[in-house]
Amino acid sequence: MTAIIYTCLGLMLVFGVMAVMLHSMTKSAIALAAASAALGVVLYEMGAVWSALLEISVCSGLVTVIFISAISLSNMDKKELEKVYEDKKRMSLLPVILIISGVVLVIAATTAGVQLPQASAVKDAGDLREILWNNRQADIWGLIIIMITGAAAVSVLFRESDWK
Amino acid sequence: MNAFGFGNIVLIIGFLLIIAGCYCLIRTYHLLKIIIGIEVAMKAVTLFFTYAGYVNGHIDLAQAFVIISIVIEVVVAVVAAGIAINLYRKYGSMDIRNLMKLKG
Repeated sequence: MTAIIYTCLGLMLVFGVMAVMLHSMTKSAIALAAASAALGVVLYEMGAVWSALLEISVCSGLVTVIFISAISLSNMDKKELEKVYEDKKRMSLLPVILIISGVVLVIAATTAGVQLPQASAVKDAGDLREILWNNRQADIWGLIIIMITGAAAVSVLFRESDWK
Repeated sequence: MNAFGFGNIVLIIGFLLIIAGCYCLIRTYHLLKIIIGIEVAMKAVTLFFTYAGYVNGHIDLAQAFVIISIVIEVVVAVVAAGIAINLYRKYGSMDIRNLMKLKG
């Protein structure tokens, strides 16, 4: 179990950085989907089964489809894309920043005496449905409003008829 | 003290993902790339929520927060993708500098 979690955490970091750094938008979207899938496995191994399900189906599936459809609606040439955005030049410092940040964080964890609580076995026997409906009911209504707003925004923003 | 314990590794990887996402937000002009940066940072937030629930044993409460954050994440991505497509239709590119030219 631990080996799976560590492997998936590593994969998540690698694919997340690839999603940010790759110049091709399609490859970026696919790398983001892979990072989501790795996160889904981590969530599952931690006992968050429903979150894992939603992460893999929605973030790894639906969001990727949205990105690919948005990319397919814009047919910009890859060389022109690079010339306009200069992403290669602008993102080149990211690996250096990540390595320095990683070293600093490891040193801080080693020397500063930060003692995180040990991960315990999952002891919560509560039901997700009860928690969502009894404890977080206001959030549920908020989510419903957000989803309706999102659906209305999509129908307005993706409208084809009055575009010239 | 073990600096490479499970909790420390989760936190370090989460912080690195947030740094990568924020760097992308700051440095790129491509609107879709900016959404990808937000998504990458949100992955770290999801990981933190779940780890917090895992540590204190309230994983179901953490799942409730994660589900809420995932729904908001998707709505943000969809609306931003719609704005990006409209930007492309109007100006021929998804460069956010074009948003400065909008009037009204």
